[in-house]
Order: sequence, then structure tokens, then C-alpha cells
Amino acid sequence: MPEKEVMLAGEVLLDASVRLGAMNVTRRFGALVANAGINFRAERGTVHAIVGGNGAGKSTLMRILQGMDRPDEGVVIVDGSPVVFLGPADAFACGIGMVHQEFMLVPGLTLLENLVLAHEPVDAFGRIDKARALDEAHRLEALAGVRLDWDTPEEDAPVHVRQIVEILRLLHRGVDVLILDEPTAVLAPAQVKELVALLRKLRDEGRTILFISHKLDEVLAVADQITVIRGGSVIGTMPREEATKAKLAEMMIGEVLARPTARPSVGGKQILEVKNLTVRNNRGHIGLATFDLTVRAGEIVGIAGVAGNGQDELAAAITGLGRVDSGAVGLAGEEMTGLTLRERRAMGLSYLSPDRAAEGLCLVAPIADNAIAGHHRRPAFCAGGILKPNSINSHVETLLDHYSVKRTSAALPASSLSGGNQQRVAVAREFDGNPKLLLACQPTRGVDIRGIAFIHQCLLDFRDRGGAVLVVSEELEELIALSDRIVILYGGKVAGEVVRGSTGIEEIGRLMLGGDSA
Amino acid sequence: MTDSLATTAPLPVLRWRNAAATIAPLLLALVLAAIVLGLAGHNPLEVYRLLAVESFGGAKRIAATLAAATPLILTGLATAVAFRAGAFNVGVEGCVFVGGLAAAYVGFTYVGLPSIVLLPLALIVSVLVGALWMLLPGLLKARLDVDEVVTTLMLNFIAVSLTAYLVNGPLLAPGSANSATPMVDAAARLPKLLPPSTLNAGFIIAVALLLLYWLWGSRTALGFETRIAGLNARFATASGIDVPMLIVKMMLLSGAIGGLAGGIHALGTVGRFVSGFSPGYGFTGIAVALLGRGSALGIFLAAILFGALATSGATIQLFSDVPIEIVSILQGMVMIFAVARFGWIVSKWRGPR
Amino acid sequence: MAGAEMIDNVVHAAIVMTTPVLLAAIGGLVNRVGGIVNIGLDSMMLAGALLGLIIASSTGSWGAALVMAALAGGVLGLLMSLAITRLDANEIIVGLGFNIAVAGLVRFFLKSAYGSSGTLNLPDVARLPRIDIPVLADIPILGAVLSGHDPVTWAAWLMVPLTAWFLARTRAGLRLRAAGAAPQAVRALGLSPLAIRDASTVFAGLMAGLAGVYLSIGVVGIFNEGITAGRGFIALAAFYFGRNRPWQTALGALLFGFFDAFQIRLQGRGVPAELVQILPYAMVIVVLTLMALAMRRARARRA
Repeated sequence: MPEKEVMLAGEVLLDASVRLGAMNVTRRFGALVANAGINFRAERGTVHAIVGGNGAGKSTLMRILQGMDRPDEGVVIVDGSPVVFLGPADAFACGIGMVHQEFMLVPGLTLLENLVLAHEPVDAFGRIDKARALDEAHRLEALAGVRLDWDTPEEDAPVHVRQIVEILRLLHRGVDVLILDEPTAVLAPAQVKELVALLRKLRDEGRTILFISHKLDEVLAVADQITVIRGGSVIGTMPREEATKAKLAEMMIGEVLARPTARPSVGGKQILEVKNLTVRNNRGHIGLATFDLTVRAGEIVGIAGVAGNGQDELAAAITGLGRVDSGAVGLAGEEMTGLTLRERRAMGLSYLSPDRAAEGLCLVAPIADNAIAGHHRRPAFCAGGILKPNSINSHVETLLDHYSVKRTSAALPASSLSGGNQQRVAVAREFDGNPKLLLACQPTRGVDIRGIAFIHQCLLDFRDRGGAVLVVSEELEELIALSDRIVILYGGKVAGEVVRGSTGIEEIGRLMLGGDSA
Repeated sequence: MTDSLATTAPLPVLRWRNAAATIAPLLLALVLAAIVLGLAGHNPLEVYRLLAVESFGGAKRIAATLAAATPLILTGLATAVAFRAGAFNVGVEGCVFVGGLAAAYVGFTYVGLPSIVLLPLALIVSVLVGALWMLLPGLLKARLDVDEVVTTLMLNFIAVSLTAYLVNGPLLAPGSANSATPMVDAAARLPKLLPPSTLNAGFIIAVALLLLYWLWGSRTALGFETRIAGLNARFATASGIDVPMLIVKMMLLSGAIGGLAGGIHALGTVGRFVSGFSPGYGFTGIAVALLGRGSALGIFLAAILFGALATSGATIQLFSDVPIEIVSILQGMVMIFAVARFGWIVSKWRGPR
Repeated sequence: MAGAEMIDNVVHAAIVMTTPVLLAAIGGLVNRVGGIVNIGLDSMMLAGALLGLIIASSTGSWGAALVMAALAGGVLGLLMSLAITRLDANEIIVGLGFNIAVAGLVRFFLKSAYGSSGTLNLPDVARLPRIDIPVLADIPILGAVLSGHDPVTWAAWLMVPLTAWFLARTRAGLRLRAAGAAPQAVRALGLSPLAIRDASTVFAGLMAGLAGVYLSIGVVGIFNEGITAGRGFIALAAFYFGRNRPWQTALGALLFGFFDAFQIRLQGRGVPAELVQILPYAMVIVVLTLMALAMRRARARRA
């Protein structure tokens, strides 16, 4: 950076009004530059949103600000002075705390125990003072305007309750700078409103909120200041008044991407037929109750709903990875219930897992292996149990090129690819072999903007060719863009069904919460 | 040494890192053992030189090393096969015992059959018994998700006690005071390759199995599936691979090879089954599988290494006062370092834990 | 009456046999709650047994022997834990490796320092004192349970409620549970889950070391390379059986103690020793199977 700019940045950043900031922060992971010379300032008593696509570097910056990571160059600024965090403990000491995207609560402990963990009220013997802990819990409840059952085990609490506990835990430790990483990803629209109200209240009391999101509507609803990050650098910072959705989107992706347009569905014969399905979840409760669903050829059906309302059970029943209590699942007129996933794949089912790292891919295995897994026994690639490496190789290379997977070599492990490219490998594999039905769960989670557009186009093209798609997604925008029909799940039952173009997000959001508004 | 389907060669960086990962544990163990030797008043370099000479100095000694390596090739392979599929089988030692006793039993009972029938029969029985021994833990893991580490570990102890009972009771050689079965019939003995050393045809069988394993691992669909299942069982399941069935199959295969190790030891080296039949071949096999990182070549080299240590250690104990236990110490430390990841220390200076 | 006396003897022997397993099992339980399955308990027991005997013989103090044995176990525990937490090594393999390496080191040491191959018989070994409680000692069965035991046995049984209280009620216990269940969450809160795990392994090592010295100076008075007789693995079985609950673990240890005591008695009556030796190990498999079946039935039964 030219010296003049450095000095300017310094003056602006080393000012006492900067509650939390970064000066010229750079962080590299091998060849990848996650943060490049980032200058950032958040003022006391504001809600500051950080937006950017996946892989832009937002989470890396937040982890540095919170002490989980250290910059290669540059410093973190607290109250106008440079500091060095050796760990989250130092950040906590400065009043800075973070609610991560994957909740950092401990299963096996109660909500109360989770609340006080690492900052427990103790008596002389090192015993935890439960009475004092409860008092504190009630005090925080009042602050947030909620009431919780503090003896609930963590794993039994619903997602939005867990998130509240995470926030209260930070307040318990006297944190006044709260960093929230994609907090609304797991919430229904009405719960988002509650969270926004809470954040506004905390801000009005003088706290500082840093809020990472890629959902521009929410950002525009709550933020005072917005910073856009792309490719590891800050593209710009502006107050809310100056921001529009189009402007932000343009800054995020560097150009305006056309939304894929969908032709109306032709609606052919029935491909997926789910009749009277009842499925228990792995804790023994009924997750899906007497559920019916049909998906036709040349149709995309979306499943909307807050996580935990039956989507996992539906996917488990269709893939065969879970046990069905009663009911039937059929594919193209043939019974599928009771068959293994291998048999269902042979019948024409493809499955895109919601958990790319743990199930959709084998990250330590070569890209080629990931691309061929599940197809490796096809006659073209295997004779009498012996594989044909040359056929496999040429097929894999063609497939990867067709899906624009940017790679150095297909022999390298899949972990060497970016998130977006990893998902392309998974998508490529699932479309390979001309399936009849694709069950796509969270198809663009953790994928960059360009990748999202590409994958959406793949799904639409597949539909136009006569394929059937069932999309389960937490991104309402995605469902609205792709689906010919959206079925909303609530409490394991159908709360409603909307056809393309007939209603807006508010109505779907209402149905997602069982039909009651906030 | 990646078993990838891609015919493009792995990049040079990867190969170098793989090689370093194999050598480093050995070097570290040698250094630590050298410290122990030094503390006991021996000159480590001199001891290592002696060990090297005693293992590889001359045809007779090399033959002895290869003979000692034979059971380790097999137990290493047996362990590697299970580990590959994600089954933590630490019970190969037990398979060696039961397989060895079974082979010896056939060998001394069915006297009168020609060699061409008796020998394969005895070996096949050892294979079957070894496989059966792993059936229970395999099924328990596949059907009920019972931790196979504990079950196979327990079965080791059960195998030792069970065979001890049999060899001290019903199968005791008549007129024998110590716990040993009768000698097996000459027709059941594995032919020697380089008399008078104990190197026998078992070595050929072991190497042949290693080659088969290499081919199987890199070229067959089942080899591919077991590797993927071992790397990520959920992914394998989602790809349509029947992971529980695979685990049962691999546990059986693992037990079979372990049983064969016992059978070859009984019919090739010892000539019968005695109490104290295996000086920890199964556990050394774990170290072999780990050091060899599951590859056929790696297992072979690691088995040679430990075989060399075993024979030379026994010999130098005779004319020096270095206890043979230095071998166990090396073995244990190699196991530990073979699974340690040192890249972490480099990244430690990067940022906070 | 010969019968009652025999029962008393069996009870007494069972408790004696339980103590080392109980000590190691409690240690292993705490270790497992913290997130590490300690397969290497046998090695720590062995080291404690050897060092304890040597100290007891050279200083004449059983107290010093206890302390040094516990320390030896603790040091081994620390080394093992560091390999697992800092070098990211697989805990099962490290445990097995430690067992093999330490067994080798012990025999190496015996040969080098004492010229002995496996057994160490030292003079003037300070044995553990026997605590006889006057009135209770005469009550049948109860007397055998409460009287005539040594301080280590008392300490072992006291550890059971202490551990239960520690885990459920104290700050350190809460952090231990958290570190075992969700180390990333603990780290995000500014604590060090690795240090917590290391501490739990050191504790397991301390307990195993005590178990070892109990065997060498409490039970037999000499050291033998087979003195642990796989009790580290039986302790493992006990805390698997106990499902991370101290009282249940103690019950498991007691069961195995009874087995051990019976086994010696059965040997003289025509039941082959080797077959009886199989019982504890077979029981572990049976227990694990039953537990898995019960879990499966419970999951299916939930309405």
C-alpha cells in the first residue's frame, strides 16, 4: 500500500471510536490469500454487516478478530489501539465474542451448563453454584425477552433456542462486541425477525454487533454499516442509507449475474411417488407423519421448512439410508421401499448429500475416485470385478471438463479443490449415468456465486431434458428460483404447497412456522 | 504409493512426503532406542552395526531374516486388510494361535496322507479357523456397531488361553512334560528353501499373497470399495457400497490370513504347536501394517525390517549383553511414531491453538 | 464353621483382586470422559509396580513407594497423552505401542540393572499395612468387607463417590465433560481442550501406577513381568461396562474381582485353569453385546 494511504488508514483506524477493527490484515493459507490487506472498522454501538460470497474471506477475518486465528501481516484494533490476540481468551478479555455458524454448544450438557461453561460461578470448593447460575440465566432471559427451560439437554433444544443460548453465553461473559456468523441461515423468517429485534436492543444498549451474511434483504433490514468483501479484499464500506441490493450484489460478485430463467414445467409421468410415509428420527420421535408427495418427469419440486421439520427423515426414506415406519416410496412405478441405496441407484435415483465434507465427497481421496464412486461397477468400467482404468480415466476427465471443475490433476485429493469446485464434482457424479430422479439436498451450500448459478442451470437443464428433481434447501430464494412447486414442511407434515409465481416469501415463511405469524 | 484409479502419476511433492512419512518414524525410534542403549552403557552405533551385520551379512543370515519376516508379512497383511476397510482389528495374534493349532492338529492326526493332500489341507484348515475366529467381532461390528477394538483384543486373550488348555490337555503329546502337541507328520511340513536355515516355502506363499493384495487393491472394484469405505464410511454408504458387509468380509479375510500365518509357522518353522507359539507376531504385524502404510511394498519392507531385528536381536544376545528387549522397545516406538503427524508442530508456530 | 470362613475368604480375596482393577478403571473412566480411550493402562501399571517395589525396598517406606509409583504412571500418562493430543496420533495404536515399548523397557531394565530375566525379588520390601477394625472384624461377611484391608483399597473405594461428585458438580468436571464431548466448542470459549485431555490422562496414569504398586507391594511382595496379568485391559472392560459412570464401573470391577477370586479356588477342583481364565474376557464381549442389544431395543421402543 502506498505510504499516504497507509497513513490515512492508520489515522482513521487508530481512533478511539473504533471499537473493533483491522489494519492491513493479511492471512494466507499456502497459495491461497484469504485476506489481503484488509482495513476494517466497526464503531461502538452499531450493527455492522459484512457481506460477501462464499470463499470471500469473511469468516477468516472474523476468526482473526475473535482470536481464533492470527494474521500473517497487520494488526487487530481494539478501542483504537493495536492488539495481539494469542487465543480466544484474549479476545474475551477485551469483550469480544463470536457465535459461529456451527454452534459451539456441547451435547451431553444441559443448556444451563452450556451457558456458564468457561465462566462458571463457583464456591470455595470449586463446586458450581447452581443457584447463582440460574439467577444469571434468568437475568439474561429478561434482557433478551425470552424464557427457556434451562435443564433441557442441549441436543433436545430446537435450533433457535440453541442460538439464543450462544448469544446469552457471550453476554454472560460481559462481551459487548458480538460477532455473528451467518446467524439467520438456520432460522425461519419469523425467528429472523425476533433475532433482529434482539440485536437492535443490544445495539441500543451500547453494544457493537458484527453480522456476517450473504442474505442481502436481512442485511439491509438490520445493519447500520455494511462492508463488502470479495476475493479477500474490502471492496467498500457504506452506511445503510447508501446501500441498495443491486449495488451490494454488484460489489459482491463484480458483475451483475443474470438469474437463470426457468421455462414452465412440462410435467410428464410420475417419477417419485411417496405414499403415506411415516418415519421416525434417530431419537425415536416421529419426524415425518403420513406424508404424501409426487414428483413428475420434467418437474422440480422444492421442500421448504426450518431445519428439523422432517426434511432429514424424508431424505432418509427416499435414499433408503433410514428406516421407514410405514408407507411406501416408489420410483417410476416400481416399489423402492426396503431396497438399499445401491439398488435404488440402479433404479435411477441420484442423491446429492447436504453434507459435502462428511458424506457427499471423500475429501482425502483423489478427485477421480470421488467422480467415479457409485458408478465404478458399471459394465463400461468394470468386468468381472476388475476395473478398467483407462475407460475410467477418460470418462472422469470428460465429466470434470463438462462440469468446469477447475483442477490441477484428478489424482490430487478432493480437498485440494475450492468449495464450489468440490460441489461441482459431486453434482457431476450425481448427474452421471442419466438418473431419473435427483434428490438434491442443500445443493449450493458453501458454493460461490458463480458456482451457484452454474449448479442451478444444471438442475434446470436436467429438468428440461425430462429429469425429475426434488430439492431440499434452507435457502428460500433458491427454492423460489428453481421450483415449479414448493411443498412446505412443518412438524413432519405438509403445511402448504405453493405453485411457481403464486405467492411471495412472506406467505411461505408463515407456512414454515405452521401458519402462525410471529 | 497411492492406490488411485487415475493413471496420472502423483506429483513429486506427494511422493517425497510419503517416503518421508515412512522413514521418519523409524529414524525417531532408532534415535530414542539409541538413548536407552546409551543409558545402559552400550554403544548404540555398535549395536546397530551388529544388528545390520547379523541380519544381512551373508546368505545364511539373509535366509534367517527372511524366515523371521515370513509370519510378519502375513500378520502385517492381515492387519492392513482390516485397517483398510476401517475395521480396527487388533486380534490377529489370536488368529495366529488358533490357526497354528488347527494346522498342527491336521498335521499330526491325518498321518498317512500324501504330502500333496495333507499340506494344503492343513493350511486350508488354518485359514478357515482363522477366518471363523474373526466372524464374531465382524458380525458384532457390522450388525450392532460393537467396538471391534475391544472385542478383537479380548479374543486374543481367549485364543491364548483356549489353545493353552487344548495343548495341555486333549492335544498334549503323549509322554511329553511340557505343553506341546505331537510333531506333525513329515508329509505336512513345508519344504525348506535353503537348508539348514528355517526359510521355507511359507515365504513364497507370503510374497505371493502380497502381490495378490497389491493387484487386488489397485485393480478390483472390491479393492476400491474397501479403500473408500476405510477413508469415509458415510460417503461409501451414500455411493451405494454395503459397508457392514464389507467389514465382515474384510474381518474374515483378515482372520484367514492371520490363521495362515499360524499355519505356516506351525508347518514350516516349528513343526508342531507349543505353548508360547507366537512371540507377538500379531502385534508386530500391527506395527508392520502401520509403518508400511498399508501398501504391499511397505508391508514387505517393514516385515523384513522387523524380521531382521528379531533374528539379529536373538543372535547378538548370545555374544553380547544387549538384551533382546531392545527389539520390543523399537517396535513399540515405531508403532507410536508411525501414527504421529509431525506437520502439526510446524503449524503450531503459526497461530493460537 | 468352615463354610462361613470360606465365604469370608472369598469375599476378602475378591475385594483384594478388585482394588487394582478399580483404581485403573476409575482412571480410565475419567480419561474417557475427557475424550481419550486409554489402552495403555497396563504399561502404567507395570511401571508403577516396578518402581514402587524398588522404592519400597530401598526406602522402607510404603508411602514413598505409593507416591513414586503414581508419579511413574503419571509421567507415562503425560507422554502418551502428548503423543495423542499434540502429535495427533491414533490413541489405540499409541496405547498398544506404549504397552509393547514399556514392557520391553521393563525387561531391558531388569536385565541390565539386576541381571534378572523377568522376576525381581528385593529384600526388606515395605508392605502395605493392614487395617483391622476391632468389632466389625468379627461380623461374618461384613467383617471381611470392611476389615483387614489396606489404605490403598480404602482410597480406591473412596475415589468412586469422589469421582461421581467431581464430574457432576465441579467446574473442572464440567470442563472435562465438555472437552471430551465437543473440543472445538471448548476451544472457542478460550479454554484449552488439549490441556484438559492431557490432565485426564495424567490422572489415569496416576491411578494405574497406584494399581501397579498395590500389586507389587500389597498383594505379592515381589515384581514379575507378568504381574499385571492384563488387568489394564480388564479395567478397560470395567469402564466400558460402567458406561462412564463411576458406580457402575465399580460394580464391573467388583464383578471381575469376584471372578478372579473364584478362579483361583476353582483351579484346585479339576476345572482347567486356562478355561477359567477365559471368563473375564468372554464376559466383556458378552456385556458389550448385551449393551448394544439393549441400546438397539431402547431406540426401537421409544414411542
